[in-house]
Amino acid sequence: MKKVLLLLSMVALMPSGAGVLAAPAAAAPGLIEQAEAARKEADALGFEWRDTSKLIKSAKEALDKGQKEESDKLASLALLQSKAAIAQAKSTAKNWKMMIPK
Amino acid sequence: MKKTIQRRLLTGALVLMTALVTKPAHAVNYQALVDADVKKFQGYFRKEFPDVKFEDYGDGVYALDEDARKQWKEMEEFPPYELDVEAGKALFNKPFANGKSLASCFPNGGAVRGNYPYFDEKRKQVVTLEMAINECRVANGEKPYPGFKGDLAKVSAYMAYISRGQKIDVKVKSAAAYKAYMKGKAFFYGKRGQLNMSCSGCHMEYAGRHLRAEIMSPALGHTTHFPVFRSKWGEIGTLHKRYEGCNDNIGAKPFEEQSEEYRDLEFFQTIMSNGLKFNGPAARK
Repeated sequence: MKKVLLLLSMVALMPSGAGVLAAPAAAAPGLIEQAEAARKEADALGFEWRDTSKLIKSAKEALDKGQKEESDKLASLALLQSKAAIAQAKSTAKNWKMMIPK
Repeated sequence: MKKTIQRRLLTGALVLMTALVTKPAHAVNYQALVDADVKKFQGYFRKEFPDVKFEDYGDGVYALDEDARKQWKEMEEFPPYELDVEAGKALFNKPFANGKSLASCFPNGGAVRGNYPYFDEKRKQVVTLEMAINECRVANGEKPYPGFKGDLAKVSAYMAYISRGQKIDVKVKSAAAYKAYMKGKAFFYGKRGQLNMSCSGCHMEYAGRHLRAEIMSPALGHTTHFPVFRSKWGEIGTLHKRYEGCNDNIGAKPFEEQSEEYRDLEFFQTIMSNGLKFNGPAARK
């Protein structure tokens, strides 16, 4: 009897397969969110590029129209621009004195 | 005896350490550091353009291009900024709601171009003429003029016009002023934007050379003649409007009019032109 009760309680406490699948895992940020976060970082460094905001805006508009592929393409470009701008900011902060003409 | 020597040695070491630790801040001669930069900067242009007279750098690209200089001289006979100067004069003297005017804020009838930019030691920031104009308005209960062009540029043009001939002699007297100067210097030489270009790349290394149809102007003298009436704009605009345009051209997000970044850049650039005379407003292509 004790063994049966123990078995029943273990089954009751065991998470079901469906429960595991439905567990609230943190959703990975989409390309637009990633691009926006990187853009903000570049902006805070004072090195945001001119067209990055426009690209993100266009990516959002494309997504609203259901054009996922186009949206991803634009957001990827915005992300790439922002990462390059951040790298540029870091490189410039380190090396600007080398740019002074002799 | 031994103890006395030890005590004296210890006292001497303490005095020496105290002297080193409490070295006064004014011992750093920031002006000397800046003057050395000015000498190098102006020397660069003397070497690049040995035939150009120092005072001609106030004429921008027209110091380097004889044909364009002739056209510009003709344009200056009936300057396109003339009406803006008149409008600026009217705005300068127009009473605010409280009865005062811009004229109440500035001495010498507003002929104070030579006093700007300067580093405000109390507020720890660079103050430009356009900033001072808007601060005067706000202090008197008026809205600031919106940036880059329009009335702000017109008032600035009038004040520059009646200040023509004032010598540029911007000083750096403190650590805080030197910090602002260095920020402006880093902006000037640092590469930015999608084209990865710097102010110095175009206006030092490429000065006098063609970029498509245009000849690049020398950075020496850049700040003497603003605001300018640019044919491309079809109106008069401030130095910061030009900065905005340059940043946009190289694919960088521009900063706001009178942002700290642009004020520090103006501070640095004006110092590099120390010794020249303010000769604004001017006409440019």
